[in-house]
Amino acid sequence: MSYLTSGSTTGLAIRRMSATKEPVLDIKDQEQLGILVDISSCTGCKACEVACIQWHDLNPPIATEEELRENGFSYQSAPDLAANLFMLMKYQEAETDRGWTWFITKRQCMHCDDPGCLTACPSPGAIVQYANGVVDFDQSKCIGCGMCRTGCPFDIPRYDANDHPFKCNFCLDRVGNGLVPACAKACPTNALHFGTRADMVELGHKVVAGLKDRGFPNAALYDSAGVGGAGYVYALPHGDKVEHYGDLPKDPAISSLVHLWKGPLKWIGGAAILGSIAAMFMHLVTAGPKTVEAHGKEE
Amino acid sequence: MANVMITRLTAFDRLVHLGTAASFVYAFLSGIGIAFPKMHWLLTVLGGGEFARWLHPWAGVVFSVFGFLMILSYVKDMFFDTDDIKWMVGIVHYMTNHEEKLPETRKYNAGQKMYFWITVFWGTIIFLVSGLAMWFPDAFAAQVAPWVPGMGVRDLVLLATVVHEVMFIAAGAFFIVHIYMGTLGMPGTLSALATGKVTAEWAKAHHPKWYREMVRKA
Repeated sequence: MSYLTSGSTTGLAIRRMSATKEPVLDIKDQEQLGILVDISSCTGCKACEVACIQWHDLNPPIATEEELRENGFSYQSAPDLAANLFMLMKYQEAETDRGWTWFITKRQCMHCDDPGCLTACPSPGAIVQYANGVVDFDQSKCIGCGMCRTGCPFDIPRYDANDHPFKCNFCLDRVGNGLVPACAKACPTNALHFGTRADMVELGHKVVAGLKDRGFPNAALYDSAGVGGAGYVYALPHGDKVEHYGDLPKDPAISSLVHLWKGPLKWIGGAAILGSIAAMFMHLVTAGPKTVEAHGKEE
Repeated sequence: MANVMITRLTAFDRLVHLGTAASFVYAFLSGIGIAFPKMHWLLTVLGGGEFARWLHPWAGVVFSVFGFLMILSYVKDMFFDTDDIKWMVGIVHYMTNHEEKLPETRKYNAGQKMYFWITVFWGTIIFLVSGLAMWFPDAFAAQVAPWVPGMGVRDLVLLATVVHEVMFIAAGAFFIVHIYMGTLGMPGTLSALATGKVTAEWAKAHHPKWYREMVRKA
């Protein structure tokens, strides 16, 4: 456990940290950031993916021809997110009321308002949520237990060989200095809009309304209500087929098991251990130890 | 009779008990340090957060090995009989040090038998299985998925975490009692862990039926 003020005099303000008390928030005030992924404008060009790899100096997994033959060829750069691949364009095809349809989806950390990783993390300060909504890891405080992926409703963190997690950090170093995140900067079709979260939600509703007018009656805004909203908001042309959008969960929410184990079970466990110690102490000072002599007297 | 000593634990029993004790204490303390943010400082004492997180499961493996040996070597004295039920019903007399109101005990009293079944028997099995699920989530899920349809990797790990914690609460609280009874609560007990021997007076006072069995054998 550690105490937290909203950050240092310079740099980004912090909103929350794992396994840490709620911080003092009256020092700084920053607006929540957001990215709207307008899937109807996305052509699947993967410029965002390249920009992400380039900006973060990633060393992404590149499939050999043999691996491709074994796993099947795909539009996807990799089968899944990886410790060295923070975002991935996912490609699926499925039948809709408009016929056979491409589902192209940008997948990365959603930057939840109520992050499951941060809730599940037992190590004080290893996961940080900044006041601008960005959720990031502090590797120096990580103990490598793997609970962040377990707690994540979107199954995002990926681990390196030392069991340390990696994921999208919303280009914290860019947005903290007034720049647009690398993916949004690179997008050539305006499928990625960057701004405050409130503006992105508003814009998303407009995009969805436009889609409905253009013959997509099931268009919907994917706003992750179960985690209190998220930094990433998606405008889905086929809102009734959420699962085809790169395996986005239908109703993302932190599992009740996480709350059970971080809440009541912790209280019961603490009470049981401390209660046992107290009870043994009470026995020692009231009944007293079970000595051989004490028994001898009674015989 | 003053210096007559009775053998309570064989060398094998003692080795097994020291093995479970050392590994359980490390796993217990590091587990508390990992699970409770307020106790995170314990990990510093135990070698640092990353190190303690690394050693915790290996301490668990050691505990499991000695735990299985302990089950094999101790189980013969651990089955409950009708006297044990009477003992459990009147446990308050044991707490207030009025054992004369309870049935005389053999080698282990009903409380010790409960400790064996909960912390040693179920502790060994449940900590090992749920621990492996958290340690190797993907491999574990691949093994278990065919048997539990509709359960994803994360659900399985979450379930294992909750089970691990519930087992910790039961075994941990009982462990505190066990430590107390083996040290401050019952003088003359701890040395048996090293030498295997207790005094005749100790045996007569705490386990009279067992004492008479031993005398008859001698």
